[in-house]
Amino acid sequence: MNSNRTAWLLISPTILILVLVGLVPFLYVLYVGFFNWMPLGKIKDMQFISLGDNYRELMFDEYFLGSIWRSIKFAFVTLFFELSIGFILALSLLSSFPLKSFFRSVHTLPLVIAPIVVGAIFKLFLVNGLGPIPYFAKEFFDYKFNYMSSENFAFWMLVVVDVWHWTPFVTLTLLAGLSALPEDPYESAKIDGANNFQIFIHITIPMLVPVLVVVIFIRLMDSLKIVDEVWMLTGGGPGYGTRFTGIHIWKEVFEKRSYGYSSAMSILYLYITIVICWFLYSVMVSRGKVDEN
Amino acid sequence: MVNIVKGAITLLLSVGIAFSAVYAGGHSAWWKKAGAPYKGTVLQGVAENTPPGQFAGEVLAKEFESLTGIKVRLENTSWDQMYDKAIKDMEANSGIYDFVYIEQDIVYSYLDRDFLVNITKALAENPSIVAPNVNMDDFTTFIDYFKDDKGDVFGIPMEAFLKVYLYRKDLFGAADAKSGFQKKYGYALAPATSFAQWRDNAEFFTGYCAEKGMECWGTTVQGHTGHPASTYEFLESIGPSFGLYNWGVTEDFHSCAADGGSLNGARAKGALSFWTSMLEFAPPEALQSTWSEVASTFAAGRAAQGWVYGENAAWIASNKEKSLVVGKVGVMQPPTGPGVLTQAASGNGYIGYFDGGAYGIPHSSKNKEATLLWLQFVAQSEVQADWAAAGGRITHYSTFNDPKIKEMDQVADGYFTLMQNTGYLYAGAPMFPFHGAGRAAIDPFIYAALAGEKSPSEALDGACKALDKVMKDLGYQK
Amino acid sequence: MRTSKILYKVFSTIIWSILTLITLFPIYWMILVSTRTPVQLFGKPNLAPTFFEKIYWKNYTKPFVDGVFGDYLLNSIIIATSNAFIVTVLAIMATYALSRYKIAGAETIFFWTMTNRMAPPAAFLLPLFLLFTTIFKFGDSTLFDTKIGLILLYCVFNLPFAIWLLKGIIDGIPKELDEAMIVDGANLFTVFTKLIIPLASPGIAVTSLLSFLFAWNEYLLATTLSSVYSRTIPTGLSEFVTTTGTEWGTMAAVAVVSMLPALIFLVLVQKYIVTGLTFGAVKA
Repeated sequence: MNSNRTAWLLISPTILILVLVGLVPFLYVLYVGFFNWMPLGKIKDMQFISLGDNYRELMFDEYFLGSIWRSIKFAFVTLFFELSIGFILALSLLSSFPLKSFFRSVHTLPLVIAPIVVGAIFKLFLVNGLGPIPYFAKEFFDYKFNYMSSENFAFWMLVVVDVWHWTPFVTLTLLAGLSALPEDPYESAKIDGANNFQIFIHITIPMLVPVLVVVIFIRLMDSLKIVDEVWMLTGGGPGYGTRFTGIHIWKEVFEKRSYGYSSAMSILYLYITIVICWFLYSVMVSRGKVDEN
Repeated sequence: MVNIVKGAITLLLSVGIAFSAVYAGGHSAWWKKAGAPYKGTVLQGVAENTPPGQFAGEVLAKEFESLTGIKVRLENTSWDQMYDKAIKDMEANSGIYDFVYIEQDIVYSYLDRDFLVNITKALAENPSIVAPNVNMDDFTTFIDYFKDDKGDVFGIPMEAFLKVYLYRKDLFGAADAKSGFQKKYGYALAPATSFAQWRDNAEFFTGYCAEKGMECWGTTVQGHTGHPASTYEFLESIGPSFGLYNWGVTEDFHSCAADGGSLNGARAKGALSFWTSMLEFAPPEALQSTWSEVASTFAAGRAAQGWVYGENAAWIASNKEKSLVVGKVGVMQPPTGPGVLTQAASGNGYIGYFDGGAYGIPHSSKNKEATLLWLQFVAQSEVQADWAAAGGRITHYSTFNDPKIKEMDQVADGYFTLMQNTGYLYAGAPMFPFHGAGRAAIDPFIYAALAGEKSPSEALDGACKALDKVMKDLGYQK
Repeated sequence: MRTSKILYKVFSTIIWSILTLITLFPIYWMILVSTRTPVQLFGKPNLAPTFFEKIYWKNYTKPFVDGVFGDYLLNSIIIATSNAFIVTVLAIMATYALSRYKIAGAETIFFWTMTNRMAPPAAFLLPLFLLFTTIFKFGDSTLFDTKIGLILLYCVFNLPFAIWLLKGIIDGIPKELDEAMIVDGANLFTVFTKLIIPLASPGIAVTSLLSFLFAWNEYLLATTLSSVYSRTIPTGLSEFVTTTGTEWGTMAAVAVVSMLPALIFLVLVQKYIVTGLTFGAVKA
């Protein structure tokens, strides 16, 4: 089995495609980031600017930095809620109760719905003049519900949507982890006279760490990229309230048409996201002893 | 009340073939001959989904096809998607579209980026496809917006409207409303002719509706805090009516008062303050309303008055399937601030937006001649009347005198007469090739003002700086 | 002891009932909206299941029968199926190669495919748009607004994912088995069809299904790189992102239809979704 030629033949279509639509765009956006390119400007062509002019400007761009901060905030806030709620739900699914499998199936539903459709579902649900939530908030609580009325409100509304969408992932993954825990440590602990709380803190949680890290890694990685639901629900507003980096870059490219600047921005966004993800990944690998499988 | 809009479309569709002679102005033989070499071609177009657009795609396209054998596929989609698709196609030269909708405010950008075919020149070079019954002089001055500085035409207008003041005749005419208002404010209740009166009306009716347990409020506000519709409302309608013209931008591209601009000047701040203060008297969906939500808000009977785009005024007043206030709609010229009307009348300003759009041909179209035939077809004076009845838009002088329109005018409380007599007071968007980028820079500040995160004064101070930065970065500001 | 257990069961059932309501209610509302006329949608939201009495079918026929959304649906089916197929085939080949052979640079390949998964699509909007419209030119046509363009593009996300999923499974098939077959004179193709695929079929099925689902659900890149001919159903929803005030019913109808494959697959995929979403790191 040493015919490397066969191996390369087998893997080459994969490499070819990934190079063409993965690597080449990356190199291209890296390249464009060193130019001034504004189709809406007086000069429509690409002009090379001194190395890093775009990047230097980005470092002080309050809107870009604000969007990065907002994305990170969003990622950690949603993670916190999804982890807490998901953990409790996973625990509750360990024992049996009536209709448990039906409930579990329904709980899985949000995971397979397209993010843009999730956005549409909640837009119909929360928009004033159509949705039940604002109407009944006024009727029963005399509260003027309007998620576009302040930056905070819109931000937290998106947190709610994200929690609705992804908590089932946390639940099911943690459930899988919990179900796979070995029996022995529990038995020894019981013999030693530990109570439920102590068992939970000193045995369950440590053994769950590998799975927890996987969950944290995947959720953070995905929520740093969020665009679809936001676009559908708020369009990035009000003001800058839900203008996460993905949305910000989209607007820079297709509204402002500042191609050079937004390319540099994309590279920075890529860099920051990947650094965070790789850091988490290495934690995941070392702590959890999880290999590529 | 006869549902004129639906009736018009059904009637025309069902007897379309028989009337094709009428549509072709009795020149059906010419159209058949001219279309023969292109028979079987499919023209693809993209436009905004408005009632005029639907008429063009459903009725006019079929007429054209039965006459010439050329099929027209008009994609009527949302405003943002229309832009997105058209611009991508023209930037990429991908030749997907044979004709695109050119919104009035983007035409300068398209001309600057050399996206469009010079229609005047193309027709001059192809005499065999010049239609004999198309009279370019019948177009209203709206067509001037689509000409370059040599007077060559780059777009054939297909819709034009004013943004007018709509009010509920039934509410303003109710006896208890009249007496209540007189008692509270000391003067007679009437549709607003000044902004102070607008405010009083709005405040009064919000209370009136609440007391009576009705789902209505004093005024609409097109205040979406996440969509450019609100920025447009401010820059194109509210601002000008207070005397803020041209986005407050000077000849040398400065917009801040410190440099001679007026985007954060007194009139602008007055406009934004008034407008945001109206949110108090607006239905809850105001902060999520673009022009189409404002139209359906008014059609649902949820507002006593408001600025509403003309294209919607017609169906709100007459279409029972979509409107709950048929027969109760009053139309008037919107109020203006002191001195604004005089400035507009003398040509030194304008009181609101002359909205509309045209069909143009991208350079990348693969079927330019066939498309030129289509554009001339829709430019005929003969097709205008039914089109105007269905879509509330007028692009030709002759349409004003058509009996169908005079009848429709009654239903729409004189909207067409208003357009005919006062159209000259309105203007299109300023000639900014950087229109998209400039507006995008101003957006977040308007949203913040609407959401109350910034005061109108702070918002405009920030907006003018952002706009100046865009104009500087793009190389327009010296 | 017993009462506390019963109490716990009751409590759990109640909590999960509420959760089910929270999960299903927004979806139920969307279905309701899709069955109502514009005038019916004004005013107080009517929560009753009126679709048992009357459905305003125009909300569905207008986009799908009269309009272009029928084409969008077809595009979605074609793109998602083709992508799932290509990804599965290529992933089997690539994973086999990684598993059975020592490939120089396997580590780098791995690193790079992982990075593809981490990368935010928004960062690639501009380069992909420019590449698809200007640089990847084949004679007269480009990849812009083509189905093949999207099919290839989705490989960037789905291929690494599929390779991850399949690697564990294929590693689990003993090398000796294929070595034996080859000694007996079988070629590689036979090894795949007679050994690998049958043994790995559950994993392959999951990979295909999840790839299909991800391709179907993708929105951002599809809207950027398509216009008319390769528009998919989720991107069709972007035609409603704003100026919906008069089109709520139609938008809801389109959203309902977009959800259908998800519902179908839910049943099939439920068992494997955790494995899928965690790349096999956690097996359900």
